[in-house]
Amino acid sequence: MTHSGILCAIVASVVFCTQAVAAPPATQDILRRSLVRIETVSQDPDYNVPWNTGSIGRGVGAGFVIKGNRIMTNAHVVSNARMIWITRYGDPNRYPATVKHVAHDCDLAILEPADPKFFDRMTPLEIGGIPEIESTVMAYGYPIGGDRPSVTRGIVSRIDFQEYSHSGADMHLVIQIDAAINPGNSGGPVMQDGKVVGVAFQGYSGDVAQNTGYMIPTPVIERFLADIEDGKYDHYVDLALSYFPLYNKAARAALGLEDDGIGVMVGDVFGRGASDGIVQRGDVIVAIDGHPVASDGSVELDDSYVEMAELVERKLKGDSVDLDVIRDGKPLKLTIPLSEPFPFNLYAFSYDVQPRFVLFGGLLFQPLDQNFRSSTRIFNFRTNYYFDHFIADAVYKERPELVILSNILSDPVNTYATEFRQAIVDTINGEKMRNLNDVAAAFEKPAEYYVIEFLGASRPLVLEAGAVAAARDRIRTRYGVTKESNLEQ
Amino acid sequence: MTRHLLAALVAFPAAALFAQDAPPVEPVPASAETIAESLPVADSVVRVNSTNQPWQHSRPWTKRPPYSRRGIGVVIEGGRVLVTAELVANHSYVELERAGSSEKVAADVVHIDYASNLALLVPQDPKFLDGTRPVSLAEGVHVGSRLNVIQLENTGAAALTPAVVTTVTVAPYPGDEAVLLSYRLSVPMQYRDNSFTLPVFLGDRLAGLLMRYDTRSQSADLVPDAVIRNFLARVAKEPYQGFARAGLMFAPTRDPQFRRYLGMNGKSGVYVVSVTHGGAAEKAGLKKGDVILQVENFDIDEDGYYNDPVLGKIPFSHLVSTANLPGGSLKMRVLREGNEIDLALPLEPRDPATVISSPSITDEPPRYYILGGLVLQELSRSYLREWGGDWRSSAPPRLVYLDEFQDELPADRGRIVFISQVLPADTTVGYDGLATIVVEKINGREIKSLEDVAEAVKSPDGRFHKIELESDPGVIFLDAKQVEETADDLQRAYGLPALSNLDKAAP
Repeated sequence: MTHSGILCAIVASVVFCTQAVAAPPATQDILRRSLVRIETVSQDPDYNVPWNTGSIGRGVGAGFVIKGNRIMTNAHVVSNARMIWITRYGDPNRYPATVKHVAHDCDLAILEPADPKFFDRMTPLEIGGIPEIESTVMAYGYPIGGDRPSVTRGIVSRIDFQEYSHSGADMHLVIQIDAAINPGNSGGPVMQDGKVVGVAFQGYSGDVAQNTGYMIPTPVIERFLADIEDGKYDHYVDLALSYFPLYNKAARAALGLEDDGIGVMVGDVFGRGASDGIVQRGDVIVAIDGHPVASDGSVELDDSYVEMAELVERKLKGDSVDLDVIRDGKPLKLTIPLSEPFPFNLYAFSYDVQPRFVLFGGLLFQPLDQNFRSSTRIFNFRTNYYFDHFIADAVYKERPELVILSNILSDPVNTYATEFRQAIVDTINGEKMRNLNDVAAAFEKPAEYYVIEFLGASRPLVLEAGAVAAARDRIRTRYGVTKESNLEQ
Repeated sequence: MTRHLLAALVAFPAAALFAQDAPPVEPVPASAETIAESLPVADSVVRVNSTNQPWQHSRPWTKRPPYSRRGIGVVIEGGRVLVTAELVANHSYVELERAGSSEKVAADVVHIDYASNLALLVPQDPKFLDGTRPVSLAEGVHVGSRLNVIQLENTGAAALTPAVVTTVTVAPYPGDEAVLLSYRLSVPMQYRDNSFTLPVFLGDRLAGLLMRYDTRSQSADLVPDAVIRNFLARVAKEPYQGFARAGLMFAPTRDPQFRRYLGMNGKSGVYVVSVTHGGAAEKAGLKKGDVILQVENFDIDEDGYYNDPVLGKIPFSHLVSTANLPGGSLKMRVLREGNEIDLALPLEPRDPATVISSPSITDEPPRYYILGGLVLQELSRSYLREWGGDWRSSAPPRLVYLDEFQDELPADRGRIVFISQVLPADTTVGYDGLATIVVEKINGREIKSLEDVAEAVKSPDGRFHKIELESDPGVIFLDAKQVEETADDLQRAYGLPALSNLDKAAP
């Protein structure tokens, strides 16, 4: 899917690390004993023709050995992979490997070679801390697909909270470095003082910004490793609320606050999220886990000011967050169990899944999600609006999934359906369609007519059951349809 | 998009409908343009120069820079000059000029109707029209009629370009407001002065006013005699009423599966998609799902056309809007749940009070209310058009949505009041990013107009104005006393002529 713009970097150890306490591994050792070259054959699904098997592509990325005989790399290196081979320096063999754990929301994965002997000559790398701004780091990897490893050196330019482009919907801590990071660096270690301080993962194309590469910092790596300790990955948890800074004196006074620069107001609480039913719109959050929350939403953490969300994102499923809030002028202590990830994933790219669809009378129905949207331009204003405002307008309450008439395989049975293309299905035979399974079930039910109402459409689309049945084989043959539905999540 | 609108809204850009399906064009005689000084029509037209200055809806207290438009008006009885409304929209000064002389005189716009794109001018000196010949309106224009488009030479002589009527249909008029009868002409013409009105004659009678000319396809669209006749008849009657509107949307029934489902049994007609709140169709008892079979005993085909004895096949909205005047009713036969029933569709214009976001062009100063530094406005199409020709994709999506689908809002929604911008001030610290967000309540009072705002701020919630918003952050507060005390400073700092304009738009 969209691996463009994702660059991987590997960090070579600092050559003159005079201050190192223990003797760090030399560059040659890292390259020979810890760095791994990952070759993949991937198959990306085809959202335009969802029964097709999709296009096959090849890719090269990097990885490194960590303790427990595991290989760490980026999720995007191994997403949609059909075959994965890993190779090590000075060994001509390609070792088949499989994905043990993958976290698409933070772009990390753990691979396991089929043959444990792969680790015989290998040394695991240790995970370090957050490097200082301006300190030197080295990136190791296989940029531009070369067979031999590469090392680049740079400094830490900025520590930031930023979007992870692999999912396109998650924000986490990132560290920006000015070491050259290019496609093929992905998954490689970025090192300082002999320890991993990041995993190279994304960058900008040269016409946007130069000398900016990004690595996944160690708090994110450590969180991922902690999450999978129980054998499965649970995703990030989230408060699922929005907040509004409280700089305005009148607003502060009206909410019963001192003019002390503390507190943010809750703007929205998203249904089905962790805070739903506990926090209310208009609550003022004054502290989180005992840390005072400044009126711009920042908290002081480890000697630096970070966004409130960063504190939450270090937590795991099953943890909880304590909030001190002021509601209707009165202080209140709230505890929010972090049992749920962010409730909406329609804005995130998904991987390792086949497109879900239902084909009926030559009409193709698909859920509207980021994967679909990135493969097809949507020109229907209402459909775009519902997608973009899915959370803001609480569309999810009525429709957990937006199902649209995505395409039409032209046939006499659907000659007059073109005006409904890309419209959102509202009801079928009077029943509200909440997701694709509802659509599939509605078409399963025997009926004389299937009356499909679309949101904002001028009239219902009516299909005669007899006409649909008569068209079925004709459509399958004419368009080479190998499968008429896929409902697997 | 096959949605046909008889109500106020048009969902496609004005020119789009015309762009499709141009029928084959008859060749026009080779001597396309002739100087015809001797023709009487030269005595019936005057040049019109208009200096226009529209309001800037995104900064509702200011006007845009002035610009000039030129056109040719037609002298009609009563010492009046007929032009398109577009020519004189937002006029600051209008001047008439006799063809062939340098005599100029200022004129007043005595009537303007943006829906039908027509306006009437009267010279301030009535003697100015002495010696002109008022024209009467043509009759019986049909597809294939040969007309002449009039332009003026510098000498004042009329330049005639022959034209052929290729299509008679109803089409969106400039400004999106109405869908009315229109003639399309094939006319290979040297288009002069980017004129905003050119008269078109059938012999020595007026067949219409040219409102659009496409130089590439050499085709032109006319406001036809029927629309002009209807306009003049309504102008003659006090109080002035707009065109009658059916107030419904319908869909074609071309799909045979759909026709069988509706039980149409070989009959033809169109499917009623929705009826406008408080509109004529609702008063007639029309319902979503009805099938309109006949209007005034004319059979309606599956696309909504009937066979007019003169004009040929045209959409039935012509019967509602232009063939008849407001008052009285039309007989409608509809199919409902297998039964045919007769209804009376009252002929009446849309009640402006039922319009949530006005699609009309207007030359009224925009209404606004400034509270602290919050600029509050009522949603209108004029405001959204500030985003330019592609406002549907570039204007704030929530506001476009509310405008575009306003017929789906509750009947008692009232106007949509929103914060259009925040003028940074002491009162609005921290609210800078809140542009284009809809206001629901102020101090507990539901906001359905700017009058509601003015009323609500009279009773603050304690020391504060509590402003509840439709979306994130949900609520903001202003210090009521501070708002009052800093009002003059705010007005001075931003050079505002006034902190509010609550004048009602003219009906």
